Amino acid sequence: MRILIADDSRVMRQIVIRTLRQAGFEGHELVEAADGRQAHDAVQSEKPDLVVCDWNMPEMTGIQVLGALRAAGNHVPFGFVTSECTAEMQNAAEAAGALFFIIKPFTPERFKEALSTVLG
Amino acid sequence: MSDHVTPTADNLRQIAEQVWAAYLDPEGVRPLLVGESRQAASAVSASVSLTGAWYGHVVVTCSSVAARHAAAAFLAMAADEVSDEDLTDVMGELANIVGGNVKSMLPAATAISLPHVVAGAGNRFPTTRQICELFGTWLDEPFSISMWQGRELAEVPAA
Repeated sequence: MRILIADDSRVMRQIVIRTLRQAGFEGHELVEAADGRQAHDAVQSEKPDLVVCDWNMPEMTGIQVLGALRAAGNHVPFGFVTSECTAEMQNAAEAAGALFFIIKPFTPERFKEALSTVLG
Repeated sequence: MSDHVTPTADNLRQIAEQVWAAYLDPEGVRPLLVGESRQAASAVSASVSLTGAWYGHVVVTCSSVAARHAAAAFLAMAADEVSDEDLTDVMGELANIVGGNVKSMLPAATAISLPHVVAGAGNRFPTTRQICELFGTWLDEPFSISMWQGRELAEVPAA
């Protein structure tokens, strides 16, 4: 599988990658995006099988990325990894078609729980 | 109607415990020792601003030594391998994580900014008052997490 990891923090992208490994999801091809616009464009160009996306990013927020993709008919499996955890945001993510909502700080166990249905 | 509460030092402590358990001290051997406050000789200060229905800032301040250790812990590398870019990135992410978590306690129509990091000095926020602070030492270095609320909106006495 090809997984797109979008977060404006390079360190957090590395932690997401490390946590994926610690959760047992190894052997996947990883692609990174450093802001929302890059994430949106990378979905078109890289055609990932899964997007793991931050919410609060420059250029486009994660929910804007998801909204734009769905509006364009793109239904790539998409989930959020974010420090923001209001009920309104979780509802908005679910309504927009997000598969999971992981809150920072996270553990490998939380990744396993949230992603096992997508990554097997 | 509002079901939000004013964040307290205890709320900051609970968030800090999660951050330490996940990233800074996953093995439980290097905890944040809460309670002893002292000024960092050379500080790094990271903040996120909250705007909208609630106005203020979440600030993480520590010594440059502690910031370097934090970056090393986040990246699972030695402290002397940490670049200034890593250090800035990690401090900003710390402020973002704390800010994102306290945001859930604030009115719904509150937005969080991208992080801002200052090295070599503490951040200053005119026309705000500190509403809570968690301070202590980490690896024998000063470490503080605080919240500052716009003075005209503050509903509680200054801490």
